[in-house]
Amino acid sequence: MAQENFTFTLPDLGEGLVEATVLEWQVAVGDVVERNAPLVEVETTKSAVVIPSPKAGRIAELHAEEEQVVPVGEPLVTFEVEAADEPQAGIVGRVPAEEARPARRVRLRPPSD
Amino acid sequence: MSANLAGDVTMRYVDLHPQAPGDGVPVLLLHGFGTDFGMNWRAAGWAQALETAGRRVIGPDLRGHGTSDKPTDSALYLPEHFVADLLAMLDESGVDKVDVVGYSMGSRLAWELASTAPERVRRVVLGGFGTKNAFAGTDLSDPGSGDTPFDTVYRTVAALPGNDAAALAACARGQAARPFEAEPPLTGIPLMVVSGARDALAEGAAELAERCGGTHVEIPGRDHANAVSSRAFRQAVLDFLAG
Repeated sequence: MAQENFTFTLPDLGEGLVEATVLEWQVAVGDVVERNAPLVEVETTKSAVVIPSPKAGRIAELHAEEEQVVPVGEPLVTFEVEAADEPQAGIVGRVPAEEARPARRVRLRPPSD
Repeated sequence: MSANLAGDVTMRYVDLHPQAPGDGVPVLLLHGFGTDFGMNWRAAGWAQALETAGRRVIGPDLRGHGTSDKPTDSALYLPEHFVADLLAMLDESGVDKVDVVGYSMGSRLAWELASTAPERVRRVVLGGFGTKNAFAGTDLSDPGSGDTPFDTVYRTVAALPGNDAAALAACARGQAARPFEAEPPLTGIPLMVVSGARDALAEGAAELAERCGGTHVEIPGRDHANAVSSRAFRQAVLDFLAG
């Protein structure tokens, strides 16, 4: 199965916060994590939060030590994930890479008065 | 969902059912002063951890907080008002008995709930709480103006988006009007007290647990603001509630 790396950066935690302190990693390098599993606990000046994993995959690298301050947008963790364009086991034939988008009915002209 | 209560104050809450139910007794999570269910518990990983453990979670935004009504009259924030809100919510939800987990002010209210209606509480966890008067030395006519631990908490939460500083000041005055008494101790209900080792607002946590015949768990290196999200805290509570 083809692998690719995905690096997750510290997300915007809202309220104009520009950085957070890593309190405790909930994962270690080599761990296989599920999407939404607890990933890392961080603290801002407003609150302490547990950030869930945005992906399922294997942890390849942690980019911050505990007690380190990380600016929003800087790398937090790199995952090894299965490449998205590979066909999944057990499925015969081609799986469209993108689902057909539902047709949207959009009024392009404003209604005339 | 919401519960309409005395004095026309509406308390809103979430009722989260696990996909694979396990223990039939729901867990009632009571947040601290100036936060709400989402910030105190959900963002700190609790809803997910409890769901994974197969537990139903009932999470109110206490009056004066979050999505609930925010009166500015301190006479509407006595501990008995919060207890009445919670009992009305449990009645409306058809829940006979809960495990209650509080943090900070939520612990004080968990204590009041368990004292008032012990038949509705199976186990109780008091987080970030001890025998110390949380308002000691604070001028509650102008909270946030001093440098006590509570002044610091007040300044932080009063500035959060969605909070009403006047309602929070009224809430603090209402709570302080009935100072917490650890006598008589809460006995007959299994009790655990959890506090960060550096939590200045949870002084006396070990003593409180001992008086009630309960256990005390200390979270190393943590203070009042960051003990609640610690994995050690969640795990201790999951073990205690499952035991």
